[in-house]
Amino acid sequence: MLGFIKKDLLMVKGNLKTLAIIFIVFSIMAMNGNGEFTFIPAFLSVMIMMTTFSYDEYNKTNAFVIALPNGNKNVVKSKYLATLLIAFVSILLTFIISIIAGYIQKNLDIESILSTLLGCFVGIVLIQSILYPFILKYGIEKSRIGIFVGIFGISGILSLLLKSGIHIEISESIISFFNNYGIIILVLVTMTILYISYKISESIYLKKEF
Amino acid sequence: MKNAIEIKDLVKRYDNKFELGKIDLKIQSGTIVGLIGENGAGKTTLIKSLLNILHIDEGTIKVFDKDYKKEEAIIKEDIGVVLDNMFLPEIIYVKDINSIMKDIYKNWDTDLFFQYLKDFQIDMNKQIKSLSKGMRKKVEIITALSHHPKLLILDEATSGLDPVVRNEILDIFLNFISDEEHTILLSTHITSDLEHIADNIVFIDQGKIVLDDTRDNIMDNYGVLKCDIEYFKNIEKEDIISYRKGKYNYDILIKNVSKMSKKYKSCIIDKVTLEDMMVLMIKGEK
Repeated sequence: MLGFIKKDLLMVKGNLKTLAIIFIVFSIMAMNGNGEFTFIPAFLSVMIMMTTFSYDEYNKTNAFVIALPNGNKNVVKSKYLATLLIAFVSILLTFIISIIAGYIQKNLDIESILSTLLGCFVGIVLIQSILYPFILKYGIEKSRIGIFVGIFGISGILSLLLKSGIHIEISESIISFFNNYGIIILVLVTMTILYISYKISESIYLKKEF
Repeated sequence: MKNAIEIKDLVKRYDNKFELGKIDLKIQSGTIVGLIGENGAGKTTLIKSLLNILHIDEGTIKVFDKDYKKEEAIIKEDIGVVLDNMFLPEIIYVKDINSIMKDIYKNWDTDLFFQYLKDFQIDMNKQIKSLSKGMRKKVEIITALSHHPKLLILDEATSGLDPVVRNEILDIFLNFISDEEHTILLSTHITSDLEHIADNIVFIDQGKIVLDDTRDNIMDNYGVLKCDIEYFKNIEKEDIISYRKGKYNYDILIKNVSKMSKKYKSCIIDKVTLEDMMVLMIKGEK
């Protein structure tokens, strides 16, 4: 199992210089008061894992990996575990950037930072939970198109809803959800979705031929 | 002698109606078996089926007397594979292969891996993508060998390489097979390689095994009888396996060279090469 996780992480290592440059540039922008750039580590963590799928597909690594002991059982599991690991690292980086940016801008708000971190974590996990079964079923190229269609589709629907004034109701229901069930439930629900996604992906992978 | 691989009634169907099988094949331990056939004949399908990369529709596979379905992980601990253009992501560094594989194979031998890299003068600090084709292939073979496998399964491991590198790689295989418990199943288009190293030849055509014999039997018993158009009419049909009509003469694939050379004294019978045999059996008329 560990070997398969390492395979994914070592692919990240291969792109480390590029990732470091992107991270540093956007971190500097975030520290100069552009708060939205604190989301960059979360965004990068999704992109990093997508890249690992691309490399696997390009090098036909899936076929090779299945020929290894327990390859077919461990490949999917290792992808999900690597995702969590990279998500945690990105959350940690977001935390560090936010703290530094808060000090520099003299507007440090720990509660707001923690909300941002939770939002990033939930966002990363949910996006990848939806993406992975599609990637494993249809391949990374087709899924990329699906991602764009999905993102623009959801954005379009949301903007329509916002324009129609329903947003107040939605916002209230979300607030009431948070008040009633709390952050722990949100994390648990996210993790449950991740687990369901993993089981679907595993079932797709075990049936798939390369 | 024990069988390293025993395949019985294997069938693999594709949606496009290509069908591999039924395949019955026994590969003895301690031998090098060459799998030959034209593109799309089913060689890679057979190898992928053997490794469960493709799921078979019918049949059973035993490796080292173990049922593949029940003991796949244990069996794979003893198999080394080199697949055609399928390997670890090329972005990783050569030395990192060790970090990955030592946590996958129980018997992975780190010292042996780095010793091989040193012996073949491969820079461990390079990314796989920056290696030449020959070097990359060597890395794949080193990876396949560094967990002390008993069985090597190689799909087009020597294709696209220059003769010098190919010979180096064939030497690796001969060195590996010097242990009597070791076995190699090697699929290749380069039939001349097999003439040098293979003990047995398995010829696949249109998803079926059309020939399974020792290399010596094939080389000694088969021949290409050459005759002109007039003489061709005198040759008995049952003596012809297949033939090709040239501009001025016929090339006829025959069996029992010694018997045929007495029967058709005025004809030249050349020794067969695996390439002649493949071409005549696939493209020739019957």
